[in-house]
Amino acid sequence: MKPGVSSNRQKIKEEIRMKDQLHLLQEIERYFEGHMSDEERAAFEALRLTDPEVDRQVEEQLLFLETLQQYGQRKDLQNKMDQIHAAMGPHTAAADGMPERPVMQPLRSRTPVTRRRALTNLAAAACIALVTSLTTIAIMQQAAKRKSTAQYEDVRRVLNNIQRSQNALINDINSNKKAPANPGTYGGTGFAISANGYIITNYHVVAGADSLYVQNNKGEAFKASSIFEDISSDLAILKIADSTFKSQPLPYALKPQQVRLGEEVFTMGYPRDEIVYGKGYISAQTGFNGDTVAYQVAIPVNPGNSGAPLMDNEGNIVGIITGKQTSSDGIAFAVKSAHLKRLLEEMPKEKLPRREWTRKNHLEHLPRVDQIRKLEDFVYMVKVYN
Amino acid sequence: MNDHLNIAKDRGLLEGLAQHDDKALKTIYLDNYPVILRMVLQNNGSEDDAKDLFQEAMIVLYEKVQEGNFDLYSKLKTFLYAVCRHLWLKKLQGNTWQTTLPEELEATLPLEDSLEQHEKKDAQFRVMEQALGSLGEPCKTLLEDYYLRKLSMQEIAEKFGYTNAENAKNQKYKCLMRLKKLFFERYRST
Repeated sequence: MKPGVSSNRQKIKEEIRMKDQLHLLQEIERYFEGHMSDEERAAFEALRLTDPEVDRQVEEQLLFLETLQQYGQRKDLQNKMDQIHAAMGPHTAAADGMPERPVMQPLRSRTPVTRRRALTNLAAAACIALVTSLTTIAIMQQAAKRKSTAQYEDVRRVLNNIQRSQNALINDINSNKKAPANPGTYGGTGFAISANGYIITNYHVVAGADSLYVQNNKGEAFKASSIFEDISSDLAILKIADSTFKSQPLPYALKPQQVRLGEEVFTMGYPRDEIVYGKGYISAQTGFNGDTVAYQVAIPVNPGNSGAPLMDNEGNIVGIITGKQTSSDGIAFAVKSAHLKRLLEEMPKEKLPRREWTRKNHLEHLPRVDQIRKLEDFVYMVKVYN
Repeated sequence: MNDHLNIAKDRGLLEGLAQHDDKALKTIYLDNYPVILRMVLQNNGSEDDAKDLFQEAMIVLYEKVQEGNFDLYSKLKTFLYAVCRHLWLKKLQGNTWQTTLPEELEATLPLEDSLEQHEKKDAQFRVMEQALGSLGEPCKTLLEDYYLRKLSMQEIAEKFGYTNAENAKNQKYKCLMRLKKLFFERYRST
């Protein structure tokens, strides 16, 4: 075969291929433009399915046409924008000033923007400062609140075995009236308000108690039960349930009147297993955080003093020790006796006759040591089991 | 309240833009160009830079509304500003200018998607532009007339001096084949 024939044939082949392609392109165009009849369309789609080359051409055409359209639209858009820009050009430049000196423009327009930015920064800084200070105030207040609640402490005593003194052990052995061997979970003080076994103490001492025992200074323990509680003034009345309990008439009286500031007072309580005497004075007419139910008393108190009687020099009950301020020494609080009186008046008369607690005071004019000696029989340790 | 009104107004404008309403285009252009101009001038750009930048942003916007699923969550102004800022940032980084950017430009916006798509379309556009450029006359005009300006074959035949529409049509197919070849050669190489 001669090479000339071969190249000629190839040329012909090429031409046929070109024609085919052109024809195919026409068909595709007709297909897209919707010029095909239904039959032709169906035939074409069938061809597309069988011949991947045709399908590829169709896809390409689609992409091509889309790109071309987008090209056209974008050109169009750019033309329009250029027109708008040309129409606006001098106007904007004039508004921004000095089109012939574009270098100056940034300088001109920068000044107000710099100022605006500075203003924005300033506003942001002010906002941050405001938020910070408000947060600080909030935190400080919260902290102050938490601190002040921590400052008040009930002076009930948490007992454990080590705290029991030898003395009490001996007392226990000698006594036929044995308290349970377990010394109890909590301890406080209480004092008699009648000869028939009514004892007053703090509510927080007996709160949540399963069983209560009161123990006198001789180590005799009696089972008791709480019969009346007043949470608001933190007072509770206990009744000794033991039939063997006997008591003398009370030597002291309740003085419901307000005690004057600076008046000397004393107390007796059980911060340990033995009775402890303490002396002080009324230092304020209100209690913790301005609580009008109580006095502030400058007197040494310790856990276990809760419920101890607060007596004036004549031996009248003027209050009941309830708690102290943890942050400083010598600041204790005592519920005023007026509240105790109110509580007693609320008691059913048949249980606690009025005459029981409105006795004449026998401690007047006695020296303090004698007052104490008489008094100590009527002050009890309150033991709480729970 | 005011923002809602603004967004409603902006939506109206975008609809106009999608439907090739010249008035809407003009409104958007005139409303937003000065802001961009100021931004570019402040960042060591020229007025021409501003024009190019803004028009590119407009094209991004146009492409988005053409897709039909563009939902405007912020003000149109904000959108355009963000796009311009992004493009400008890119340009500055691409150039050798060692200008430090004010911090307000450094924050980028979640526009990556839009801009990525735009870049793709932009590439296609350039390919098509080049293909048409190297196609030569009269093919270029003929195809543009037919496909973009939507002239009929009859009109084209008259315009180009062909004896009849059928001849013009044949010529058009030949041109189209060439253009497609040019386009896809470049398109595949990118």
